[in-house]
Parts: sequence; structure tokens; C-alpha cells
Amino acid sequence: MNQQEIRSRLASQAGDSSTLEVMGWYTFLLRHFAQPFLRFKFPKDRVKGFDFEGRPFERAVGRSRFMDSGNRLYACELGKLAFELMEATPALLHRLECIYDEILIDEVQDLAGFDWEILEVLLGSQIDVRMVGDVRQAVLSTNPRGKKNKKFSYAASLEWFRDREADGLLTIAYATITYRCRSEIAAFSDTIFDASWGFPGTTSENFDETEHDGVFLLHTQHVDEYVDRYRPQCLRHSVNSAKNLNLDFQNFKGVKGATFDRVLIAPTANIESFIKKGTNLEAAAAAAFYVAVTRARQSLAIVIDKVGMSTLPVWAPQVR
Amino acid sequence: MITRIHIRGYRIYKDFNLLPNPKMNILVGGNDAGKSTLMEAVSLALNGRIGGRNVLEELNPHWFNTELVQEFLAQRAAGRKPALPEILIELYLRDDDELQVLCGAVNTAVPTHACPGVFLRIYPNEEYQDMLDDWLKAPNALLPVEYYACEWRSFADRELTKRPRVLSVATIDSRTVKSSAGVDYHLRQILSDHLETNEKAEISLGFRTVKASMTDGALATVNRRFSALGASLQAEPIALAMDQTSRTSWESVITPHVDNVPFSMAGQGQQAAIKISLAMKRHSAKAKIVMIEEPENHLSHTSLSTLLERVEKLATDDQQLFVSTHSTYVLNRLGLNALHLLSRNLVSKITELDPSTVRYFQRLPGYDTLRLVLARKVVLVEGPSDEIIFEKVFYDLHGVTPMAAGVDVISMRGLALARCLELCAAVDKPVAVMRDNDGIEPAELRVAVVKWLDGKKRELFIGKVSDGHTLEPQLIKANGEAHLREVLGITDKADLVTWMTRAKTEGALLIAESNKALKAPAYMREAAGFIQNA
Repeated sequence: MNQQEIRSRLASQAGDSSTLEVMGWYTFLLRHFAQPFLRFKFPKDRVKGFDFEGRPFERAVGRSRFMDSGNRLYACELGKLAFELMEATPALLHRLECIYDEILIDEVQDLAGFDWEILEVLLGSQIDVRMVGDVRQAVLSTNPRGKKNKKFSYAASLEWFRDREADGLLTIAYATITYRCRSEIAAFSDTIFDASWGFPGTTSENFDETEHDGVFLLHTQHVDEYVDRYRPQCLRHSVNSAKNLNLDFQNFKGVKGATFDRVLIAPTANIESFIKKGTNLEAAAAAAFYVAVTRARQSLAIVIDKVGMSTLPVWAPQVR
Repeated sequence: MITRIHIRGYRIYKDFNLLPNPKMNILVGGNDAGKSTLMEAVSLALNGRIGGRNVLEELNPHWFNTELVQEFLAQRAAGRKPALPEILIELYLRDDDELQVLCGAVNTAVPTHACPGVFLRIYPNEEYQDMLDDWLKAPNALLPVEYYACEWRSFADRELTKRPRVLSVATIDSRTVKSSAGVDYHLRQILSDHLETNEKAEISLGFRTVKASMTDGALATVNRRFSALGASLQAEPIALAMDQTSRTSWESVITPHVDNVPFSMAGQGQQAAIKISLAMKRHSAKAKIVMIEEPENHLSHTSLSTLLERVEKLATDDQQLFVSTHSTYVLNRLGLNALHLLSRNLVSKITELDPSTVRYFQRLPGYDTLRLVLARKVVLVEGPSDEIIFEKVFYDLHGVTPMAAGVDVISMRGLALARCLELCAAVDKPVAVMRDNDGIEPAELRVAVVKWLDGKKRELFIGKVSDGHTLEPQLIKANGEAHLREVLGITDKADLVTWMTRAKTEGALLIAESNKALKAPAYMREAAGFIQNA
């Protein structure tokens, strides 16, 4: 859900409250960490900008680790910088505590690396922190290259929250109802992560019925006809996948937060073997596939020629 | 609440620091000492505007410190590449919870220091680098302000667009309202700050309704006649209506009335009093800064006294006052301990002044403490005759008058010597004090004030008891009766001591004006020597 959507929802649900600020995580770190307190690490510097794409040299240390020559901060190192500034001066947290009574974090599963360290400090502060997220969706990490806290990234972040819950820092409430996916789709999505993850099952509250509802497998030869008839949103892992199909694709990661009535998925080799043999997907791949599956409201079709031991129905055009 | 004012490169302030008191701050200084400039700088950094107008629109080369500009030009001339002069005004604020949104380390404090604060910086705009480079080929004292930019930010490096809500400031200037609009910029701001948002909305709505009723009422008849006129190009009817645009908002027509007389028609004293009351008495007790410029202007002595009473009464603990003044009366009344003495780029603050001394001068508000504070060096004497004689002694010794040597000779006129010395010590003023021994051993008289004396900057001088109890016998002892009788033109019949003691001042004047030589009593000569070197 993007910031504009949050703003408009807040405006309609909570009224036009001037005491509510909506900002992205990077903006939060820039405005309340880097800009005011940069000088606790670099006494002569000021933040002059933000570089979303750029990266420091692999072995850059000191100033050049965090910013380019024009003092534009690298997005990928902002979490580390922010955390180090937080450690450098107590004024930073005190300031935050005076400004905010409560911080709500949406899509918390997407935090990465040092963001978790920052979150931990916030959890121990006077500020009430509420977070929502779907750890099964953790595919958009805020620092894709960072090594810090790799073990917490992606779906394993749930472990992090469970540890903090055991320490008494937070409590977890599981929201298991989906208002989007029909029960067949919800049930299938629950199988993507094996039982060892300990995710609770999903209940569907979508009782709408159409001519074509549920999860289907689809042979390549029937794709054109299927697309013609149901007009699904076609999804693939990335530009490099499903090159044999000439469809109007979007990538898995690009459709986070979106909703479509019907979805068609061109699977990766790993997804194919998950369907055929039940081979578990590794965390990141599972999360990406999970996002794709749970975009669908009414129907989901997966393109596969050999169905193996899958018990899912196979769609075929009816012989007229 | 402001804890530190730092000004760099603005007008007379090359690099200036002032650490204000939490509550009362009285700014004194000679003319051109920078009192108004200081107030202006503070207001600039608090409002991001100057007199309600955009900074860059008002910016001109004379805003820059001439000394810095000269240094810059000299360095350029010597072939070096110094940076173009800039202006920086920083206000450091107390580390209060409600001010934390302004907290950060984007300030010039060394080592790095985070606290709430705001700054205003005027600097060469990099976007105009080409033009600046061009200008640098033949630089002169008139800086190319067209190519300068202005940033107004919090110490958190967040750009400010309007004055932060947590910082309310009221400026009460000595100018009085004479314009036909009735309300000047400062007063309008004070009024606007005084009213709650809903009150303002209500007034605005009411004013609109009134304007509308004019259109429907008195103007309706006129408009009926106009409609038949056919005056417009395309035969659309024209009509008169009240202007409902923001140009004619209520702020421009609503003005305070005093006893049914509009504000601008009120006496100047009344105007000042009203401004002060409005500014200081707000509904919400937020952190407030009140700046009052020379309240003594336009006011009679009694009005000033009433006004100061009001200032004292309205000042609350969370209000910080800055009062600039030329008046000893204001200074003494509001409390000598709040004094900041400005002299161009420097400021000295009164340190530890005993509360009883502050009260002492508050009860004697007419005493010229300001003269004492503003003098470069001070000689304290008991009365006018001592003053006159000392001036002559000083002239005889140094060949210049005390005034020309920067020495102000001040009569204490019965004021407690210890209080005056304490004040001199508090403002670190060089001072030589002379007094009569009145028959008591000088060593004994020293005891009471010895803690203020250091033999280098402050010293007490008293004539020997054996040479006489007061100035007159001391003069006779030093010069001999015959010589003095001749100087004063007194016959042998009159008793010299009695005559001189009865006509102290007159005698002193005769001695001073005489072209006959005068031998100074030893203690007086020592004092004259001491103060010259102090």
C-alpha cells in the first residue's frame, strides 16, 4: 500500500487529523536521524540529498560509505548510518520520544538489515510501536545487498518477532482472515510455506461466486484460449522467466499490494517442482510466489504441462 | 527560550555571541552599539522574514559586515581565494520537550552539540556560480546579493516555511502607528497571535456577512439604477459590490480602540502600552519571547513608570524578555542583574550581583547607573567639589581632560560606595574611588569594600587623617593657606576652612578656573595616576 493510499484512507477513517504524519521509512530515517544528527559522525557535513540507486564502493569506509561527493546519502546504507547515529547520541531517541506518541509501521516485513536494530531500540522506547505486515510477503527488502541481519530477512523475520515476544518487548496478533482471496486460493497459499514455519491457516471471507472460481493448472497449449476467455492478469517471476509465453506480464515483486480478479502465473522451475513433487521452496522464493498467488480474488491458473502428484484440477477448454 | 544568540557577518556583528538570561534581558549600549541590530537579527531568525517581508527581497550589500567584506577583498587582492562573505544567525533554544522537533546538530557549536534551535543563513547561490565567478574577476565592497540565497531551517536541518508553532514572539518597537491603515505589521502580528484560530474564523465570517449585507442593502438601490446604465462593452449589467477578496480581509480594517478612540489616534504612550499588554497577555502560556525596543521613547516619566509596572506584572516564568534601552530608569527598575552591555561586536553580561544591590538600585531608579556602565573607566567621588578638583588634578597630571581620556568622573551623592563598587566589579569596569576619611583611619574604611578591590582595576584612595577629614583641609594642607587664599581671593579675616566648607562647589570652581598652580592632595594624584593605567 503506498503512502498516498494510506493518507486517503486515514483521511476517510480517522478524519483530517493534523497530528498524523505519513512518511516512507527512508524519509523517516532521513528526517529524524540523518539530517539532524549527521554531525555526530561527520562533524563538518550536512545531508544534501538522497541517492536511491547508487551504492558505495564495496570496501568504502568512513564518509564515502554513506554518501557521495555531493553529500547525497546512499539509500542502501541509510539504515546503518541511522543506527550508528542513534548509538552516537541519546538526543536522537529523546527527540523522537518528544515528537511522537505512537509510530505505526506498515509492511514491516520489508525492513532489512539495520532497520531491525532501529526497530528494536524503538520497541524499548517510550513510543508505542504498532506494526502490521505479512512476513510471507517479505520480498522487497530495503537493503538488498546488505549482509547485516541476513538471518532475519524474508520470511524468517517472523522468528525475530517471536524472539522479541518471548522477551516481552511486543505481542503478536495473527490476522488470518482474507477478504480478497476465495477459500480455494487461500487454502493453496497456505501450502506454500511448510508446517515448520508455524504460520496459522488463512480463513476466507470472500464468498463471491463467478463462472470460474478456484485454483487450476493449465497446459501451455491452452494458455491462449484461457487468456482469451478469462482475461487474467499474467504474472512471472522476472523478465528472464517464461520467455516461451508471449503474454502481457507483470513481475511478482511489482504487484505487491495489488488486487486482480483473475491471475495467471508462469511458474519458475522451483515452483513447478513444488507443484509436481511438493518440494519446499526456499524462503525468498516462497515469499515471492506467495505474493503472486494472493493477488487473485476469484481464480488462479498456473501454467504447467506435467502435473505430477498435484491434485489440483486441470483446466481444459470444453469440447463443444 | 533562547539560550544563545550567535550572529556572524550581519551588519556590525562580525562574530557575536550572547547568552541571554532565562527571563529578563536588558540590552544597553551607546549609540551604534548594535542594540536594534541585535533585536532585528533575533526577529529575523525567529520569523524568517524582516518586517513581514521576504529576506531576499530586502537583502542589500549593507547587510554584510564591512570588516569581513574588507578582509575578503584584501585576501582576493593578495591572490588568495577566500569564500564569499556569508551571514549566519543562530538561535540556540533550551532543551525543552516541546521544542524537540527543532532539535539537531546542524549548528556551529564545537564539539558537535544537539539542541533545539533555528538558523537563518544568507550565502552565495551555487546555481549562479558562473555569474559569481564573473563578479569575482573585479570584486568590490558591494557584494552581488542578486546571486545570494537564503535558507531558514531548524537545527534538525528541516526547512522552515513559517515560524514554528512552539516559538511565539512579539516585537514591540518604539515606532508608533501613524499610517491610515491603523495597524502596523508588528501590531497586526501581535493581534493575530493573540486571537485563537476559532475566534479569527468567527471574525472573518462575520466580516464577510457584513460586507454581503452592504451589497444587498445600501448598494442594492444604486445597483438598480446602474443596471439601466448600459455602461459596459457587451451590455452586461454592471453593479457595485463589496470586495470579498482577501485583499480586504478583516485584519486591515479592524483596529484596537482605546476609550472609543482608534488606536492610531491614541497617544503614543497609550499605543506602546496597548502593544505590550496584547503581546504579553496571551491565552495560551506557550514558550514566548517578547522584544521591547526602547520603551522610554515617547513616554512621559509617569507613563514609563506605569508601563514598566505592567511589563513586570505580565511577565511570567516562561516568558523571555529582551528590552533595549537608553534609560537608566528602565535599567534600574527592571533590574540591573539582567543587564547586557553591548559595544559593537562585544557583549558583557552582569555576573553575580547581590540581590540586595539590585533592589537597592530598583528603589533609586533615578541614579545614573547606565552612565557608570557605559563609561570606559570610572572615577567615583563623593560630590561635585571633588569632581571639579579631580578633573583639574587629572588635567595637570596627564595634559588631557578625564573625558578625553575615556574616564567618566561620577559623584555618588550619598550613594553607598560598596554598591557602586559591586556594580563596577560586576561589569568589570576599571574604577578609582575617592572618599573623605571623616576622621577614620583609611585602613579601617577599606575593610568594608576590600573584596571589590584588586589594586589593578579597582582601588580606593583616601587622604591621611592627619591631613584633614575632608577635601578642603586636604587642599589647604597640600597648598598652604596663603596660596589658597590668593587663589580664592579670601581676606585674612575669614576662616579659610569654614569658608571652603560652606562654599564647597563655588570654591572648587574658583580653584579649577584659576590659572595659579594647584598642588593635588597625594591620594587624589595617586587616583589620577591609577585610573590612567587601569
